[in-house]
Amino acid sequence: MSGIVWHIFTFGVIGIFLIVATYRTLAIIRLPVHLRWELAPIPHEKGKGRYGGSYLEEYEWWKKPQPRSCIAPLIYMVKEIFLLRGIWKHNRALWPLTFAFHMGIYLTIGMLFFSVISAILIIAEVPLPVFNVFLVIASVLAVAGYLLGSLGAISLILKRALDSNLRPFNTITKYFNLLFLGAVFISGSYAWFHSGDFASEMSLFIKRLITLDAGVTLTFPLSLHIIISLLFILYLPWTDMIHFIAKYFTYHEIRWNDRPQDEKMQKELRGLLAQPVSWSATHVKADGKKSWVDVTTEEMSDEKES
Amino acid sequence: MKRSLKLTDISKDVDTQLIEIDIDKLIPLPPPYDKVEELPGFKQLTEDQRERLVCNLDGVVSTALPKPKNKEEEKKYIEQFVSGLKKLLSRENNWTFLQPLLLSIDYCAQCQTCCDACPIYLASGKNDLYRPTYRSEIFRRLVNKYVKPGGKLRAKLNKGDIELNWTTITRLYELSYRCNLCRRCAQSCPMGVDNGLITRELRKLFSQELGWAPKELHEKGTVLQLEVGSATGLRPHVAKDNFEFLDEDFTEVTGIEVSTPWDKEGADILLIHSAGDIISFPENPIAFSILCNAAQVSWTLSSEIPGYDGINYGVFYDDVQLAKVAIRHAQIAKKLKVKKIVIGECGHQHKAFMTVADRVLTGDLNIPRESVMTFLENIVFSGKIKFDPSKNDFPVTLHDPCNIVRNLGIVEPQRRILRYLCPQFREMTPHGVDNYCCGGGGGLSVMSDVNFTDWKVNVSGRIKFKQVLEAFADQPGPEVKKYLCAPCLNCKLQFRDLFAYYGAREKSSIIFGGLAELIVNAMVILKKPFITWGEY
Repeated sequence: MSGIVWHIFTFGVIGIFLIVATYRTLAIIRLPVHLRWELAPIPHEKGKGRYGGSYLEEYEWWKKPQPRSCIAPLIYMVKEIFLLRGIWKHNRALWPLTFAFHMGIYLTIGMLFFSVISAILIIAEVPLPVFNVFLVIASVLAVAGYLLGSLGAISLILKRALDSNLRPFNTITKYFNLLFLGAVFISGSYAWFHSGDFASEMSLFIKRLITLDAGVTLTFPLSLHIIISLLFILYLPWTDMIHFIAKYFTYHEIRWNDRPQDEKMQKELRGLLAQPVSWSATHVKADGKKSWVDVTTEEMSDEKES
Repeated sequence: MKRSLKLTDISKDVDTQLIEIDIDKLIPLPPPYDKVEELPGFKQLTEDQRERLVCNLDGVVSTALPKPKNKEEEKKYIEQFVSGLKKLLSRENNWTFLQPLLLSIDYCAQCQTCCDACPIYLASGKNDLYRPTYRSEIFRRLVNKYVKPGGKLRAKLNKGDIELNWTTITRLYELSYRCNLCRRCAQSCPMGVDNGLITRELRKLFSQELGWAPKELHEKGTVLQLEVGSATGLRPHVAKDNFEFLDEDFTEVTGIEVSTPWDKEGADILLIHSAGDIISFPENPIAFSILCNAAQVSWTLSSEIPGYDGINYGVFYDDVQLAKVAIRHAQIAKKLKVKKIVIGECGHQHKAFMTVADRVLTGDLNIPRESVMTFLENIVFSGKIKFDPSKNDFPVTLHDPCNIVRNLGIVEPQRRILRYLCPQFREMTPHGVDNYCCGGGGGLSVMSDVNFTDWKVNVSGRIKFKQVLEAFADQPGPEVKKYLCAPCLNCKLQFRDLFAYYGAREKSSIIFGGLAELIVNAMVILKKPFITWGEY
């Protein structure tokens, strides 16, 4: 692949990823406010979240302040994201496999971060000894991430194929997703072991991308790894693997959403209740024109009139 | 060898039962309840029932759906099912739960972590049919196939394409009533996917589009409640008469004057009981009358339809019915000009009125609503009533109604009361927000068609019954009287069935009742015990 093609391919993939991921995020944000469906424990309940209590435990709760903890939800999410707290608590047998898999992803992202920093330092012509430490960190993160990720992906594929609990629910897509991400990790491992100095090569590649330097030359293993990785990033936002975005909403907007009505919400609710209903069952008495307010209060109005 | 049920089996073998429930494979109960041969077991369906009703799931019938008259009728319902799927995903028709539903459809990782949190799946000996994921995944695949662009092609290419036919929809309908909606599965899901919600959405589709709902929840539930005032059939004047009689009766029994105010405009509090308590467990509403009067609370009951029955079965199966009942309750409170509504000892009433319908009650209908747990706690610790905890010196354990605890986070007020008034109070394991459902949640406790009660006592209530026995394991025999505090009407109805089936009162001397009864029982002013063990 010639130099400029690398630039077009890489920036194109990143651009498409950002556009699709943003579109899907906005699609979730733009969904209408829903009826309350919270689920204890809610960590932001200050002093109560620990045992699953909520502000509704207070006598005449509407007259009292509802102190919210900012730290507790943060700690909860950090444990959930980095230590997979839920799986540890409820599915211990799966935890080592999925932990290796997710840790592989996090360490690889960490490697990319340090590689970008190193690339910027190269551009800034900082002397090698200063940023050498970043290269060492990137290198360690890369090999650890690739090996853990490969191990996680392979073991999860085997688990899916062999475990009678999981097998009936498997789809070709589930296997394909694991294989694809597994290919990213395995090709990364191959590139790391093949290269004399993986982190430097990666940083140099990123530096040439940033400076739009067309003189990109890569070894075959690193080229292969980067191509597979970019194809994966291109594929990712179209799949359910962007659950890292969805999870924010399932927790913050549903499980932990215990907001009573306020003026802004009331305005939105009035609009939603004015929408037409077209459910067909006779008891709903909807005709596609009557609104939610009409169908839920009609009988009462009838009685008043009679 | 482990049973293995495929997702695609749901649409196969018309009119054949999908699974058999093997009573020997259910999780064992401790002695003396471990002798399966001494229990009545499952009632088998009769030839007539098999002839008339759809019985193609597990040998149990809860919904009593009649068989279709002809192929045209089958086709009509299948088409309605598809149209219902589309409406579930539309803003206009399902703004109420669109975001939670879409997220639960799109982001399940199929890790099966939720299964071991489900008391029904566990109690059944891990029967595949009762996995929380089984019905959800079938629903998900049908949504993806029939509602999303390119769905049919993707379903063909992917593994496990579900065929949509009469068998599929009828099995799904019946299967949607094999879940307590307790949301223990949702609590354990690392993604935040909610199989309880999916089950409710499925019930909603059947109700709001096909007009299918169990008669106990719909026809004799919300419809009757909105028509005559109560799902029990109690009309306003009968409810008042019953209360008057109870007031007199308990005045005689307790030696203190018991009176219940009705329709008192301008009272501070509108208390809404479940009318089922008036009929089945009258000690509970009377205990409230005693406490409110003793604490000099300004309160009233309402005799307006349906202000004396706080239940709202809509929360189990239908958004329109949910909203109708909630709005009606709020309008009554507004008319009485009360300062707040106190919700009686009823779990689903708490969830329906305090949170789920909160965003339906806009403007001046948004009257403050309070749980009975905080209300009672305030009375007990107000110093207005003198208590003698030694009157409650018997083993007491607490059942946490899912809708009050896991769904609303009201955990501690009831415990503070019990720790203060019951010297032998002990917790179940697990408890609080990790509790197990009584097995009657999700509306199941009031459903008893054909042989459904057998399933509720053998399967859905099994883990809870085991938990209750274990909580009293230090004094298991009938010589020690024990009290299970269950502050929820529907839970009590389920315990009534459970205890009768297993003979818990005779074999272990366990009775059940509400929280208010325990409080009244500890009142110094009462000369005779309020809790009369012999009468249960």
